[in-house]
Amino acid sequence: MKKLKKHVDKLFSDVPDSDEKEVLKQEIYENLQEKVQDLIEQGKDEEDAINKAIVEFGDIDEIKMELVVTKNPLRKNNTKYNLGFSIWGSLLIISLFVFANFYYTPDNIWFVYPTFVVLWWPSVMFYYWRKTR
Amino acid sequence: MNIRSDIIRGHLDAIILRLISEKDRYGYEISKEITDRTEGRFQIKEATLYAVFQRLHRKELIESYFGSVSHGGKRKYYSITPLGRAYLSEIVKEWQEAKNIIDLFMEGL
Repeated sequence: MKKLKKHVDKLFSDVPDSDEKEVLKQEIYENLQEKVQDLIEQGKDEEDAINKAIVEFGDIDEIKMELVVTKNPLRKNNTKYNLGFSIWGSLLIISLFVFANFYYTPDNIWFVYPTFVVLWWPSVMFYYWRKTR
Repeated sequence: MNIRSDIIRGHLDAIILRLISEKDRYGYEISKEITDRTEGRFQIKEATLYAVFQRLHRKELIESYFGSVSHGGKRKYYSITPLGRAYLSEIVKEWQEAKNIIDLFMEGL
């Protein structure tokens, strides 16, 4: 049965880890085990039964495609949230600089320099977001 | 893979939905049932079966839950949703219609 477990692991080795993947792997392993058990009861020896089950399982690409399809829409939303967060976050930081500048050293305007540094953040997030649209 | 099974392939969603609509079933049970009912003339690949499960689940036509214990593990059962039943009866109607049309040209030769 170890061989069976190894085979299932190998099938999924290049799928990114997720809870969904673990549940699916477990389900496939359970069902394959039962199939092997059935084949053994029909008179095959264990080695043969496992090989037959593995061969009849088929090509896993179909499953991978379905797993990927369910993932993509989530990613798109994430970049949008990241962009929104970066805009609000940088506005907060910049307003802190502006406040400190005018409150403590009103004769010397320096808040522009850190503002340019902070603006990298939303601009990077903006291009990420645009790429996924 | 012969031509016949390619035609069947396009209707696997419906076939599996039908089996789940009869009673809650788990993966291996469904593949066994398909082999039994077709008397071995059609066998579904497990890889295809799980892809269909994913798809039906995403469309909310079926639901899953963990049921009784098999060989030291939990079995994942599938049950049909009301949406799934509606979808299935739609598909059956469509299939009857398509079959009638194709029969017009395939019969009598």
